[in-house]
Amino acid sequence: MNLRRRSDKETKERGASQWAVAWRRFKKHRSGLVGLGMIMVLLVIAAFHNVIAPYPARPHPDAFKPLYEGESAQPPSWKHPFGTTVMGTDVFSEVIHGSIYTIYVAVTVTLISMALSVAVGIVSGYFGRLVDDVLMRVTEVFLVFPSLLFILLFSRIYQLGVAEPFWDVFGIKIPVGLTIVVIIVSIFGWASYARVIRGEVLRMKECEFIQAAKSLGASSRWIMLRHIFPNILPQVIVLGTLTMASAVLVEAAVSFLGFGDPNTITWGRLMEESLQDLSTVWWAEVFPGLAVFLTVLAFNLVGDGLSDALNPRLRE
Amino acid sequence: MPPLLEVRDLVKYFPVYSRGIFRKKIIGNVHAVDHISFTVNERETVGLVGESGCGKTTTGKLILYLEKPSSGQIFFEGKEIVQTFSKGSKEEQMKLRRSMQMVFQNPYASLDPRMTVYDIISEPFKIHKHVPSSEWKERVYKLLEMVGLEPYHAERYPHEFSGGQRQRICIARALAVEPKFIIADEPVSSLDVSIRAQILNLIMELQERLGMSYLYISHDLSSVRQISQRVIVMYLGEIVEHAPTEKLFDRPVHPYTKALMSAVPIPDPKRKMNIIVLPGEVPSPINPPPGCRFHPRCQYADSKCKEEKPVLSEVDIDHFVSCHYWHKFV
Repeated sequence: MNLRRRSDKETKERGASQWAVAWRRFKKHRSGLVGLGMIMVLLVIAAFHNVIAPYPARPHPDAFKPLYEGESAQPPSWKHPFGTTVMGTDVFSEVIHGSIYTIYVAVTVTLISMALSVAVGIVSGYFGRLVDDVLMRVTEVFLVFPSLLFILLFSRIYQLGVAEPFWDVFGIKIPVGLTIVVIIVSIFGWASYARVIRGEVLRMKECEFIQAAKSLGASSRWIMLRHIFPNILPQVIVLGTLTMASAVLVEAAVSFLGFGDPNTITWGRLMEESLQDLSTVWWAEVFPGLAVFLTVLAFNLVGDGLSDALNPRLRE
Repeated sequence: MPPLLEVRDLVKYFPVYSRGIFRKKIIGNVHAVDHISFTVNERETVGLVGESGCGKTTTGKLILYLEKPSSGQIFFEGKEIVQTFSKGSKEEQMKLRRSMQMVFQNPYASLDPRMTVYDIISEPFKIHKHVPSSEWKERVYKLLEMVGLEPYHAERYPHEFSGGQRQRICIARALAVEPKFIIADEPVSSLDVSIRAQILNLIMELQERLGMSYLYISHDLSSVRQISQRVIVMYLGEIVEHAPTEKLFDRPVHPYTKALMSAVPIPDPKRKMNIIVLPGEVPSPINPPPGCRFHPRCQYADSKCKEEKPVLSEVDIDHFVSCHYWHKFV
């Protein structure tokens, strides 16, 4: 046991915020750290995909020949670590180029669906009564939808109306079709989180510090933004991490089923392209699948680690 | 001199719903507070005692309009609170908010865990803007000093403090708006016995320095006796006895008050205690007994108690009792 008395200087230092405490606990969570490391690797790959990939991306999804060497259906080797497809594309390069879309989908779906669920959850839980009744009925409608079916349906409907494949936003090319998929997936994904957040808010609303803020004359907006939101943020972060995992998975499924953006080559689309050659060119299927699997695993590990680190009921 | 706070015929019923598929139906009411009236004068501490669930805390919340009263009136400095909060202007409401504050029972839940002590104590300044932002720091340090904490505590988070220290922070936050009236809802009941005296002394000392009034809600009779000038005893949402502290503790009249007093431990092993044990349980506040609410547990009750509701009658100067047979017990 450490019996050293704290020096005066130490006691006068700024107290440890709950974020610092959570980070200290997360650092002890081994699988969480592994997940975080994997996400870091993914981010580095996505950021430098043009440098890392041995072959450039296809300029257009249907243009196979000009840039590739024509070594079709090669098994994994030093030259082609993940092998090549029947069309002669290098699977390793394609997976690396696809990582950027995976990140894009994970981040945007999470931002949109979390914003929706936090807004609905807080407003519904805090105001209660009629507001709660109306918002929860709306939420339930989204919960009972067979969401994948609707995602496929709406993706197909809206993809047909896409005039140009990319938007140019400050020099960054944003794939329009993929953005449509992202929006549809988010709209069908927020409902269950909104209910979780509403439950948290209901629990917190009865806390005495909320009552104290009310008796100080704080407005509802003040209480929701300054007291309730910061206090549910840990749960929102955990839910957000898990959303990232499911967003990657759903997008891969949509692309795999052939309903994705025809202009972007995501991991799901890579798998779809080589599905008919599965019996001979298995590597073209396995490696993109592995990439999806590892990404989903990484986000889940981090989410697990975060929920342990941020859970106030678990002590070190 | 008119009283600082006057509560007139205050009622709070909480509806109980049956869960239907389409429409919720009210199947009963919890009679939390049932027609109570009392006053609090300036620079006075009034104790409100009673067992759990008798409506003490609800009374406090009604006065602060944290709960909406079902009926009745509350006057603060002559201004009607219920009217002001339901119809009055924003300025009037904020003025009332500034003049009344509450210190809560559980210091572990009454401070926002994500805010530093500085943010917590300066929050009233941000809401009411009655202090220019250049003076916030100075004022926070002054308030911390007033409640017996050090300036460096301002940078800490609530989880780094003990229960007693947290209660001091709660008091500092309540004082930040310079209130005239503070409702202290069992401020010491979740603290260690050794800390209780410190917090009670702090509360009394602050009253002397700042001249506030308190409504001190508690079930701990010895602390009530120490701190308050007048005591109100509640049972099942109603006032059963209301008297100056000394009179109430020396000569309790109502059988319920007598039973309460007999349960106060006396720190003397030689004295034999005659504890009056009340039979039965507190009846459900959803279906309170007719007549005198205390009659199912009262050893003196007869048919009159079962049918007729007693009224508060003055048995001595300023000593009110709600019992048909008070003259037997004086």
